[in-house]
Amino acid sequence: MKNIKGNFISALLLLFAIAICFLSALKFLSMQKKEAIFPSQGLTSKKMLSSYFPGLKNTWGDTDVFLYEGQEKGGNLLILGGTHPNEPAGFITAVLLIENIQVSTGKIIIVPRANNSGFTHSEPQEGNPQRYSLETPGSTRRFRYGSRLTNPIHQWPDPSLYINPAGQKLSGAESRNLNRCYPGRKTGSLTEKIASGIMELIKKEKIDLALDLHEAAPEYPVINAIVFHENSADLAALALMELQIEGFEFRLEASPVNLRGLSHREWGDHAHIMAILLESANASHGRLKGKTSPALIVE
Amino acid sequence: MQTVYHLIVFYLTCHLIWCLWREKKLWNKVSVALVLIMFLLRLFLIK
Repeated sequence: MKNIKGNFISALLLLFAIAICFLSALKFLSMQKKEAIFPSQGLTSKKMLSSYFPGLKNTWGDTDVFLYEGQEKGGNLLILGGTHPNEPAGFITAVLLIENIQVSTGKIIIVPRANNSGFTHSEPQEGNPQRYSLETPGSTRRFRYGSRLTNPIHQWPDPSLYINPAGQKLSGAESRNLNRCYPGRKTGSLTEKIASGIMELIKKEKIDLALDLHEAAPEYPVINAIVFHENSADLAALALMELQIEGFEFRLEASPVNLRGLSHREWGDHAHIMAILLESANASHGRLKGKTSPALIVE
Repeated sequence: MQTVYHLIVFYLTCHLIWCLWREKKLWNKVSVALVLIMFLLRLFLIK
């Protein structure tokens, strides 16, 4: 009798463990769902990054590319959001542009989720919320608050020391940081393949100017900054003056030549285009903060 | 590498399920079940 009772309790506890796993799985899998983006009428075509680099096909690195072409020929601009999916300003700016722009001259290409894999998980041990909300005139829209790095389920294990394609030595986890993997490796890790795909896009679409949108902790020295490759120094200075005339406090930061693997550094050096990284501040980053809540993220 | 990881976690998960039946005291069973949850989550790569 005692044995039967023991077996029953064991079975009950096993069922309890399975139920907890099932509920966790539902929540976990919901992170892989992409929020809808509603492109403006000016959208010319929508492609996948794998159409520029087939090595990304059927991987979590493949991502949407939105193309807007004007009637007249002009310069070609690439805007990258979501390089770090825990920096929502970059992603939201890309979404805002996709849903509102009309292009009359030249071409604008927007990649809202540059590191698509990073949107499918959350930063471990940070207690970050899975989503944040934005009020719009019609409804409340919810977006994923992802991780800075590629999902370890999609790229694992990390090396103990990472030597990126540009030859810089970094800690192992940085092998999953898209903004340290340029110019990419076609036969490398998933993150290096994504970087390679973006380099192919830049070459095939004959991009003239590329912007990579980022956010950082308020205590980080490089915030509200235009970080420029030397190819785009004049343009960055001009943009800064325009911003200051409009009343925005921004600063210029020259990209260090010896810090390799970053988007703007390698875009400028390898594709010879004007390359800029924009950095704004987010209160949810860094260590000088309270609980990371959805309200803090959009503050 | 991922297969090796899965095999290790699968082995430990089976071991914990066996422990769940082997343990006689209720609170020991509960402790095993809690650890088992973590291993099942790992096994199915849920976090």
